[in-house]
Amino acid sequence: MKFLRNLLDKQDHLFRKGGKLELLFPIWEAQDTILYTPGKVTKTGSHVRDKMDLKRMMILVYIALIPTVLMALYNTGYQAHLAMAQTGATSSGDWHHALAAWLGIGVNPENIFSNMAFGALFFVPVYLVTLAVGGFWEVLFAMIRKHEVTEGFLVTSLLFPLILPASIPLWQVAVGISFGVVIGKEVFGGVGMNILNPALTARAFLFFAYPAEISGDKVWVAVDGFSKATPLAQFADSTMQVTATWWDAFIGLIPGSMGETSALACLIGAFILIVTRVGSWQIMLSIVLGMVGFSYFLNFVGSATNPMFAMTPAWHFVVGGFAFGTVFMATDPVSAAITDGGKWVYGLLIGILVVLVRVINPAFPEGMMLAILFGNVFAPIIDRIFLNRNIKRRLARNA
Amino acid sequence: MHNDSIKKTVGVALAVCLVCSVFVSTAAVYLQGIQEKNKHLDKVKNILIAGGLYDKKADIQKLFSEKITSSLIDLSTGEALTEDQYTDKLSPKTFDIKTMAADNQLGKALTDEQDLAGIKRIPRDMLVYSVMNNGTVDKYVLPVYGKGLWSTMYGFIALSNDLKTIKGITFYEHGETPGLGGEIENPNWRASWNGKIAFDDQADLILQVLKGKVIPSSPDASHQIDGLSGATLTTRGVGKMIDFWFGENGYGPFLQKMREASSNG
Amino acid sequence: MANKYKEVLLDPIFNNNPIGLQVLGICSALAVTTRLQTAVVMAIAVTLVTAFSNLAVSLIRNHIPSSIRILVEMTIIASLVIIADQFIKAFAYDISKQLSIFVGLIITNCILMGRAEAFALKNPPLISFLDGIGNGLGYTFVLLFVGFFRELLGTGRLFNIPILPVATEGGWYTINGLMVLSPSAFFLIGLLIWALRAWKPEQVEED
Repeated sequence: MKFLRNLLDKQDHLFRKGGKLELLFPIWEAQDTILYTPGKVTKTGSHVRDKMDLKRMMILVYIALIPTVLMALYNTGYQAHLAMAQTGATSSGDWHHALAAWLGIGVNPENIFSNMAFGALFFVPVYLVTLAVGGFWEVLFAMIRKHEVTEGFLVTSLLFPLILPASIPLWQVAVGISFGVVIGKEVFGGVGMNILNPALTARAFLFFAYPAEISGDKVWVAVDGFSKATPLAQFADSTMQVTATWWDAFIGLIPGSMGETSALACLIGAFILIVTRVGSWQIMLSIVLGMVGFSYFLNFVGSATNPMFAMTPAWHFVVGGFAFGTVFMATDPVSAAITDGGKWVYGLLIGILVVLVRVINPAFPEGMMLAILFGNVFAPIIDRIFLNRNIKRRLARNA
Repeated sequence: MHNDSIKKTVGVALAVCLVCSVFVSTAAVYLQGIQEKNKHLDKVKNILIAGGLYDKKADIQKLFSEKITSSLIDLSTGEALTEDQYTDKLSPKTFDIKTMAADNQLGKALTDEQDLAGIKRIPRDMLVYSVMNNGTVDKYVLPVYGKGLWSTMYGFIALSNDLKTIKGITFYEHGETPGLGGEIENPNWRASWNGKIAFDDQADLILQVLKGKVIPSSPDASHQIDGLSGATLTTRGVGKMIDFWFGENGYGPFLQKMREASSNG
Repeated sequence: MANKYKEVLLDPIFNNNPIGLQVLGICSALAVTTRLQTAVVMAIAVTLVTAFSNLAVSLIRNHIPSSIRILVEMTIIASLVIIADQFIKAFAYDISKQLSIFVGLIITNCILMGRAEAFALKNPPLISFLDGIGNGLGYTFVLLFVGFFRELLGTGRLFNIPILPVATEGGWYTINGLMVLSPSAFFLIGLLIWALRAWKPEQVEED
């Protein structure tokens, strides 16, 4: 290993200021950091908020995401195979299906391997496109701004595919992540400066720009033309029956965005994040409290025309990406509130808004996405209020 | 004289107001005629579009007066109003759905059971248009409106003289989501209405706006319309609008009258 | 002297853009830019109203009592806006329907009051008129920029002429629904300001 280190060090000067390949420094630095722990520590930037460095934190989030990724692979394949078994079609769809047939992945919803392999055919391309296109923007901005590529993007690039439907066209993935990285992050000055979660910004962009591919009944199952509503949409529509059981939804065997369906996988992730102190348990808990409180309130108020009023907190918890958003999105340390009191207010706000958007607004079952983005926008103000209050209190104490 | 003296202040204020008002009123008076004509032409254009007669190059005013006759009908009886029943407020010239519906006498409130289209109030009388061809009615153009997802959608439906077949639909005012519900303006979707059967031989309303796509091979395809993808609530709004206006509180009595007239004649 | 006229006329386009640098008149820039056609009509209306209000204010600048200065300016601007509105209704009815209240709202467009106050009150008529035209052109430039992208990406058309074959009508271009919604104008204006300030770093404000 020493040999590799020496080799790298020998080339290093080429990429330093004045070197021949100066412009490529960010790429050089990135591979070096992936191979070795960086030789210097962060000096500036608001992302240093405790003793854990960004790299370790991001790796822990990565690990916490593994259960949801596995469920994403399994459920994407499972839903598709279920649909194909139902309609009797052996191969109905695009190149994914042709490739699956060529690889000999059978159509069998009972077979775990077959499901996961088929799911991977959808998840992996989306992930690779996200990495390639998002990485391109990261490196480009790093080169122009002459700073290093940060690990932050690795998490963003894994979160983004998880919150997309399996049938999303790959070019939309590319456009979406470009918007997320450039408008959601780089315009604010890069990692640590953004006020919105980049992955959610990217999804929100796609949601408003290309609603036909990311909402409705047709997009959730990776079989062309197959229509299956998410449980949340079924709740909202008085003419539809909710077909899934609560346990299906909890485990994640329902149609939805690839990685969002399983509340169970998210809970495992939450456990890892809380134990390692990467994710704030205050935020997660307060979101759940806000949601439970407000949905009970709406249960109590009731409505003759809007069936969503009657949706119980338990159901709110397992559908529409609530668990995923609570555990992985709202807790993003850059865009969330950071003061102790602020975290509670921020979480409660998101919890209440989710229910509000889901129940009152007829058009957007995507309550979680919008609520978190809204929370992100308010986080700096919330923090400011708490900081000023602390300052005042301290002044009064010392006066 | 000092600029800030009271006299000068009042003087300048008056002078500015006077000059401005002369300009404004001159413009308003001279242009009013053209504006009124524009408004009228715009309405005429929409009726022609619904009636399938619109032609960019043609003189639409001439086309309208040659091909289209209008009559006010009492929705509850289906009878056409005679000219001596016209008043200042109620005549084909002044007819405007919104003001009529809002008026205490000329409009009426709908009960919750009646109000399928979510529009709360309707005019007691509606102005319907007949597209004439060699002295006989070729099709009827009926104004309709109903609530979509965000907005009230205003439009016209054209019905053939057999009183069964849809001949066209158009929306001239709405605020639905662009790209989703806003696709009610899509020419392809609108064209898909053409030739659909609205009423069966028993004069029962059978036209359905589906949630998804119509299966062309299905026996019901002739009276089904594609739903707009991704716009469940707008689609449902359009469906309910049809249910209401082709029902007993909408044009039901009028259409019944027409059917009787055509079977007798 | 000729140089000065040129500067007054052209400076507001890139160097001192009323939207790009001063961030005035944003409201209408969001509302009327879904189509180029409406954007052009709006831009012409604002340019002419700014120019003539500047001219009128400048002509009587030595006689305006300072106590009712703002009122006089408002009266002149409001009258011009009403006249512009009447003309659009008479000669471009379809567009006036799409512009709806936004022509009337030119009255509240800060560019007009801003130029009357900041420039026309202190300068002779001709150069004030040119200043109005210049600022109108600056506004026009931003509106056309935003309108171009919103109409092209949001409907596949430019001036209502199909450019990109749209997917719902059998082509390959999938309409970007966000572009038809107002927030997209915010993004586009933001990107424009970003580009302007990257090009002319002296426009960046100090923290």
